[in-house]
Amino acid sequence: MTVLRRNPSLAWRDEPGARERILAALERSEDVADEGWVILVHAGRMHQLNLLAGEIWLLADGTRDAAAIAAELAGRYDAPADEIRKDVEAFVAECLSRGWLVAEDA
Amino acid sequence: MELTAPLTVNWTLSYTCNFSCRHCYSRGQARPELPLERVLGLVEELARCRVLFVNFGGGEPLCYPHLWEVARAAADRGLRVSMNTNGWLLDAEAARRARAAGFASVGVSLDGATAEVHDAFRARPGSFDRALAALEHLRDAGVASTVSAVIHRNNVGSYRRIVELAAERGAATVYLHNFKCAGRGAENRTELDLSPGEWRAFYGDALAWRPRAPAELAFDDPILALLGGADPGAVKGSTCGKLSLHLEPDGEVTPCGFIPVSAGNLIDQPLDVLWSTSPVLRKMREKTPEGKCRSCGVYGECLGGCTARAFAATGSFNAPDPHCWAGNGRPQGGPS
Repeated sequence: MTVLRRNPSLAWRDEPGARERILAALERSEDVADEGWVILVHAGRMHQLNLLAGEIWLLADGTRDAAAIAAELAGRYDAPADEIRKDVEAFVAECLSRGWLVAEDA
Repeated sequence: MELTAPLTVNWTLSYTCNFSCRHCYSRGQARPELPLERVLGLVEELARCRVLFVNFGGGEPLCYPHLWEVARAAADRGLRVSMNTNGWLLDAEAARRARAAGFASVGVSLDGATAEVHDAFRARPGSFDRALAALEHLRDAGVASTVSAVIHRNNVGSYRRIVELAAERGAATVYLHNFKCAGRGAENRTELDLSPGEWRAFYGDALAWRPRAPAELAFDDPILALLGGADPGAVKGSTCGKLSLHLEPDGEVTPCGFIPVSAGNLIDQPLDVLWSTSPVLRKMREKTPEGKCRSCGVYGECLGGCTARAFAATGSFNAPDPHCWAGNGRPQGGPS
């Protein structure tokens, strides 16, 4: 199995309070697509990850592949598995191309 | 996103310095220094609050006797450790010690493309050669280096050569800092600072050259928003008090090293509490436009520019940045 791991050279931090605020906004059906709760700094630039991207980021701890991350999130958010899988695959592909995540054999 | 703590702490462990530079914000000030045990306690506090970066400045950090021990403690707690040095004391042995202490990178100041310009600015003959040698020692020791260049009247015409000198010695990034009219910088402002129009011309040139430059060019000037050059993803306006803080030798906290206004003291208060409750930091984050900023079409992008410069020039966080070239109510900037 090829698992995903955060690039250890990146500095990052999650903000649980911001995540709670995003979840509350989601409950109110507000658009939270651009609301960040994980910050990562790469090559001197700061990036914010939104709700789903942040969840993927935290789950990419070297124990799961993309399918396992999608399954975990589909259960957590009671969302259609196929939709979540596509979102996870797209974000993981972007992170791999940017060097934010690394894929390695378990 | 409002953070629970700063991402970066710029830490002046001591104001002791072996130089007396003409632009220095520290205005030759002195502060009592905490005993090492308390300093290491502050490292623990930064780690507890999950600060990502700590950058030692000063003063000259290599004049501080416990630098290596404090840096090692910070690196061991997961912080990314860096410092800004004038390079005078950074010989081969110091470079090796920087590596052993866990420095992620070391920034060396290079404020001129020639010894004549740099040494005059730094008021120390031989400092240009020592700065270049410091970069070479870092490269030889396997420590990542950056270069910091404060742009001023005597180097603006040759800043590209500064970047080339840095790149030739392995510096991956060159920070082209704006001139801050604080401390000695205020005393020498007339002679050294550029006019708003000259700042616009410089930034236009640097942004155009950036894709071809031999090193990554980095800027710290919120006024770049007028040229569309601000980094996406970062906060708008000054980052001080929003992403970063300045920590003084006695635990006192200010929004940045150029704003000598206390936001509290980490000896009395946890960092996350100070960060979320300080009225001074609140003012940094919630500026109210004054003067020409009130009717400016790009205020929402630059938030008044550099708060430190505005404060140094007027005593108000909200005043327009004195480097701003935008006119009253109508931005005059644009891609050059």
